[in-house]
Amino acid sequence: MSGSRGFRALLVAALGAVLVFLTVPIVGVFVNVPPGELLASLAQEGALEALLLSLQTTALALVIILVVGTPAAYLLATRSFRGRSVAVTLVELPLVLPPAVAGIALLAALGPEGILGGLLIDAGVQLVFQTAGVVVALVFVASPFYIRQAQAAFASIDPTLLAASRTLGAGEGRTFLAVAIPTARAGLLSGMALAWGRALGEFGATLIFAGSFQGITQTAPLAILARFGIDFTGALALSAVLVALSATILLSVKLLAGSPAFGGVAAR
Amino acid sequence: MRTIPLLATIALTLVACGGEEESASGSEAGGAPSEPAEEITVSAAASLTTAFEAYDERTPVTERFSFAGSDALAAQIRQGATPDVYAAANTELPQALFEEGEVGEPTVFVTNTLVIAVPTDSQIASIDDLTESDVDLVIGTEDVPFGSYTRTVLDRLPAGERDAILANVRSEEPDVNSTVGKLTQGAGDASFTYSSDVAAASGRLRDIELPAELQPDVAYAVAVVEGAENPKAAQAFIDGLVSGAGAQVLQEAGFRPPPAG
Amino acid sequence: MALLRVEAHTRLGDFDLALDVEVGAGACLALAGPSGAGKTTTLRVAAGLIRPDRGNVTCGDEVWLDTERGVNLPPERRRCGYVFQDYALFGHLRAWQNVAYPLRGIPRAQRRRTAHELLERFGLASRADAHPRTLSGGERQRVALARALAREPRALLLDEPLSALDTRTRTSAGRELAAILREAAVPTLLVTHDFAEAALFGDEVGVIDGGRVVQRGTPSELAMAPASAFVADFTGAVVLIGEARPGPDGLTVVNLDAAEATVLSTDQGHGRVAVSVFPWEIALLPAGSDPVGSAQNRLAAEVVSVTVVGNRVRVGLDAGQPITAEVTQAGVEGLALAPGVKVAASWKAAATRLAEA
Repeated sequence: MSGSRGFRALLVAALGAVLVFLTVPIVGVFVNVPPGELLASLAQEGALEALLLSLQTTALALVIILVVGTPAAYLLATRSFRGRSVAVTLVELPLVLPPAVAGIALLAALGPEGILGGLLIDAGVQLVFQTAGVVVALVFVASPFYIRQAQAAFASIDPTLLAASRTLGAGEGRTFLAVAIPTARAGLLSGMALAWGRALGEFGATLIFAGSFQGITQTAPLAILARFGIDFTGALALSAVLVALSATILLSVKLLAGSPAFGGVAAR
Repeated sequence: MRTIPLLATIALTLVACGGEEESASGSEAGGAPSEPAEEITVSAAASLTTAFEAYDERTPVTERFSFAGSDALAAQIRQGATPDVYAAANTELPQALFEEGEVGEPTVFVTNTLVIAVPTDSQIASIDDLTESDVDLVIGTEDVPFGSYTRTVLDRLPAGERDAILANVRSEEPDVNSTVGKLTQGAGDASFTYSSDVAAASGRLRDIELPAELQPDVAYAVAVVEGAENPKAAQAFIDGLVSGAGAQVLQEAGFRPPPAG
Repeated sequence: MALLRVEAHTRLGDFDLALDVEVGAGACLALAGPSGAGKTTTLRVAAGLIRPDRGNVTCGDEVWLDTERGVNLPPERRRCGYVFQDYALFGHLRAWQNVAYPLRGIPRAQRRRTAHELLERFGLASRADAHPRTLSGGERQRVALARALAREPRALLLDEPLSALDTRTRTSAGRELAAILREAAVPTLLVTHDFAEAALFGDEVGVIDGGRVVQRGTPSELAMAPASAFVADFTGAVVLIGEARPGPDGLTVVNLDAAEATVLSTDQGHGRVAVSVFPWEIALLPAGSDPVGSAQNRLAAEVVSVTVVGNRVRVGLDAGQPITAEVTQAGVEGLALAPGVKVAASWKAAATRLAEA
């Protein structure tokens, strides 16, 4: 059966290539500079501020995405209505936009000269150069990551569970909160991890829409860019921390999703 | 047979994306005949975008450009990237790279003027107006040439004025293009950038000259990178910048000739 | 008196569902039929999960659905207990929490107590804290039932209550369920594809095919006097098709299509008929033996299969048409029955039912 064996060898080689390609850059981040220097660079002015700003803005963006995106995903998953496929495509659009394009689009829509710019100014809301603008950019680029996962998770719920809830006296709202969300928990959490990861790494749209200013809009990725030109060690240090942070988030969410304590199915 | 339209869509998308990269520009821009021309890669300061692209159309050689902040480009070269040519918006960066053995001896090829750029309908008329409290100012980062020139200018002001202006800074951009982009979109009231950028903004911005005593010496230097694939073509490119089609194009774009000698 | 009435007319794939059934308080109507006949749809219409093109659902004095007057109560407003085929227990909740789910508007401590009490009545007190995935099939069925009964529904709907259970559990579960239904004293509508199951639970059985109830009656009425070949076949009888005409002594003579034989029946009938007889009424004799007694039907047949089912043996035979006889183990040994052996199948004219073909 050399045919099967050859094929299996090919599969292993492919996975090996993927793993090497994805891990070498990450290893490079940690290996190129001695740990002592890494830590010293972190203590430098602006580094911790950037990390804190990243955490704050991504957390806020995530809350918005969860609160608005979850019901939206539920509707997309459980109902068919006219224009549904158009809605799904629109939700996925930011996924395929280059970040710079996303930033320009946001400027064109919400910037002072944008379509809604006048309305925002009248309402006293300024987004450009403000932390709020960073949050808006993050929500824009990261929400499709969550909504698609959430939609898939809701769509894979056994419909008889939802029907059962209705026959037991629960209206649509209670069914959504008490049955749909807990049942889809694993998929929702993994969507959250993806969205959070994307938001942490967001850089192009933020720079163009909100700008880059320490403490206000300079998130960790932007701080890394600012350091790149002159202080490569500093850039590496921040990069290392960002990688560690993202990995921690991803792992925690995976653990949460698999933990029986959360009603998840134990690791398959 | 839905696979055929699907494959066609994928192919078209890839082609479109290939041409869309932020800073690299296609080198077959002009109507040059398709000879198997020599090709060089050029890392150049963002403020040279319009001028170099025009220069490219007038040379027989095909250029692949990478436009970004001069400091970011220098960092790439230090990390091992080897474009054929490195053109920076100051003399310090090429000089430092020369001393590190990364590039050949730099040549100053053009100078520029730092100005205050504002939207055409702005009320701002002088550098003093920048001290007003409701002005949103966009400048470069500390390390990118146009940002360091800006700080040079501000340091020449009385401390009070300088602090008032710095307090109005809302964003520190990594290159001039994103700076100008912000202003033309109404995000930001003013910025310190080059007169050539205002010229390139097609009439959406106007410039306010800085008083002569504040004006920094803005000199651009260019060098052949050590380990370049096409050092001869690279040198020819540089020669054209100093006294050929390149020099002409730079003048048309609003740059000023290098100091004599 | 709380009466559940379900009337539904709606398009169902290739055919139309046209149904109008009533169930009295404390009674159980079992709708039995092949899959796709519209059984589950009927339940869903009753519960409010599907809205038929035209229909009426009333429970006692409550109008749950009236398409003409535009009344359509959503499922949560109908006090209707529904036990789904695969039970639909909420995996993220413990057993008692599942049972407590429908209990609203009462203090939490009381909800917990009530749920535990219900589980105790169903013999599941020790499993109250378990998650559904650790429960056995039978336990899950009881939790689903307890949950459906928790808020004292005005009607009960069950979808194939035993089909998700393995054969061993089925018998005991079936007995328990029958007892619970009698105790519950609300109109119950139950659907199944198995006539024996229907007979076990239903005070009455409605055979449903192609969206219509083709016959309704007590299980024995259906077995004794099937209205059509379909009903006869569905109730487990052997069915032979033939041409009937009146014969001597008030008997009817039927010329069978597939065999060169005639059979006699005490039923009246003429024209195309379906002759039905139950397997356990068929006796097997050595081939060529003389008929014993009068009014006996005889068919020559060849054994095709011999299957032991419990303490009986089902013998599949070919008599031009397939027939099945149910005999004792002793009978099998006495005749040395094995595939290929030729025998005579014999049964009484009085045990021969006639129905429309």
